[in-house]
Amino acid sequence: MIKALAAALALSACAAVAAVEGPYSAAGAYTVTLDRQWSDISAVMTQRPRNVRLLSVDGPLLNRLYIASAIEPGQFLVKPARREAPTPIFRADMSETELVEFVIDSVAALGYLRPESRNLRPDLFGGREAVRFEIEAQTPEGLAFSGTALLARAGDRLHLILYLAPTEHYYARLLPHVEQVFASVRFQ
Amino acid sequence: MKRSFLRGAISVFSAAALIAAPAASVAQQSAPLAPPAATAADPPPRPAPARARPDPSTDEGGIWGVADRAEEDARRSAERISDPGLNAYVASIACRVAAEFCGDVRIYLMQRPFYNASMAPNGYMEVWSGLMLRVEDEAQLAFVLGHEIAHYDARHSLETLRAMRGRSNAALAASVAIAVIGAAAAANSPNSAQSIMNAAGGLIDIAYLGALASLFGYSRENETEADAEGFRRIAAAGYDPAAPARQWRLRIDEVAASDFERTRREEARAGVFNTHPLNRDRVQALEALALRAAAVGETGRARYRAAIRPFLDPWLRDELRRRDYGQTLFLIERLASAEEDLGVLLFYRGEAHRLRRGEGDLAHARAAYESAIQHPDAPPLAWRQLGEIYERERRAAEAAALFRAYLDRAPAASDRLLIERRIAALEAQAPPGGTP
Ligand SMILES: [Zn+2]
Repeated sequence: MIKALAAALALSACAAVAAVEGPYSAAGAYTVTLDRQWSDISAVMTQRPRNVRLLSVDGPLLNRLYIASAIEPGQFLVKPARREAPTPIFRADMSETELVEFVIDSVAALGYLRPESRNLRPDLFGGREAVRFEIEAQTPEGLAFSGTALLARAGDRLHLILYLAPTEHYYARLLPHVEQVFASVRFQ
Repeated sequence: MKRSFLRGAISVFSAAALIAAPAASVAQQSAPLAPPAATAADPPPRPAPARARPDPSTDEGGIWGVADRAEEDARRSAERISDPGLNAYVASIACRVAAEFCGDVRIYLMQRPFYNASMAPNGYMEVWSGLMLRVEDEAQLAFVLGHEIAHYDARHSLETLRAMRGRSNAALAASVAIAVIGAAAAANSPNSAQSIMNAAGGLIDIAYLGALASLFGYSRENETEADAEGFRRIAAAGYDPAAPARQWRLRIDEVAASDFERTRREEARAGVFNTHPLNRDRVQALEALALRAAAVGETGRARYRAAIRPFLDPWLRDELRRRDYGQTLFLIERLASAEEDLGVLLFYRGEAHRLRRGEGDLAHARAAYESAIQHPDAPPLAWRQLGEIYERERRAAEAAALFRAYLDRAPAASDRLLIERRIAALEAQAPPGGTP
């Protein structure tokens, strides 16, 4: 038991956390430009899908920016821990509101309580037709969280950028940089 | 159960170690934002406890201490259902079946979509929304409460603790260590929910409560005794003696309807932890007791439904997120069998089929939404969902009309801009009044 804990600790200590800035490729389909330094902490997602990256500035409890590229039909944003507790999966035939529901239910699968979408509106994702919305949720301890997401369908794939942070102080602080990320999407 | 639980605790710990500094600072940030200790959910003043607090230096005092900490977490949890009316109602049922412990038992209602009620040795009890959706009437809830209070009355957790210590000190030490580590690590990390899901389903403090549950995994003898005592209590309080067997049977039948083979194969449980295993023997024992009682008691069905009615919508939304549509549809059929709340229930039947998306599910969803909108309590979303199905089926004019009906019913809908854009596109295909 103690040995296992020590091993887990040692493992996490050397997990790769890379500082990233400037052009950043989201596993192939598109690039964004980061106008400030972020940490690529994708490694903390123990079971992350290959095409989902996680960036943060102050650690995943204080801000997280998911950059997901070409999510395939049948794929999830949040990997289930076991077969009997499935997480939302993307389907090619999802309607626009179902895509938003996919993101909101994925936020719930991350452990946030009562996530809700706000202010859904048309937008652009690297020049392509997209949907933008805000998110309100809570942690189980009662801390209010805010978020915003930009998503676009590309054939039977889904591109998604999702930002989450505590409502108080943290969300607004990085929002301008996140807006800049949204605006910087370029397809190769 | 125990193995997966250990794994969960370890991975949470490693994630927390990586982000230790932010975790500490968010803890400071969030402290003032947490709900105050005394809220509207706290029950009105009650009689003094019948049971004195044990000396902290004893083993019983020790487990009370662990339970006190778990209770403090429950008190502050954002998952706690604060509605004063519902809290007072459930507390009043507990006092009706166990008047002598009315001052001992403190019930915390939690919005969690799993079937669970648990009783800690210090008198702190949790009842989860997933259970409240599944008991059909007040008599069945009274039985579950009576069963839990029977564990308290007979000090079953202390019995378990002593038996466990006799078997292995190491196991006890490990579970207490997990409780401490798990609680510390999980408390600040929403992401940990995924890693702890192994234990029981995406709940932040499962590590903590799971450790408690490993202390309180009652023996089958304890369970049989608690059933009999719960039965005796509700019969004495004038409730329907058939309620206990019916509730356990429903529970077993629902688990058998699960989408997941492993869930169907496992023994049904009356709690998400490895506690209260259910089997046909327990149902038969309760049926035999009911036959012998032969008295008629009240079910309190209408009163119970009225108490949970305002919560059907949010609780069923949570329920869908378990994505076990076999169990959810079983539940919805049970709730709908009373021919009440059909707007909400048919809407959620449609949602379950729409989300499952198996063979024929969209047709089932369409039929359910079409029925739902005939009832005055249907949520506005029923019109939008039906509109989306018609849109898929290229019934443009009908889809546009339903989207309009949705916006009329939900003028402040968060998706208004998107829906208006779709109405315009649909009406361009099929102008209103034109032939579709
Ligand atoms: Zn029990």
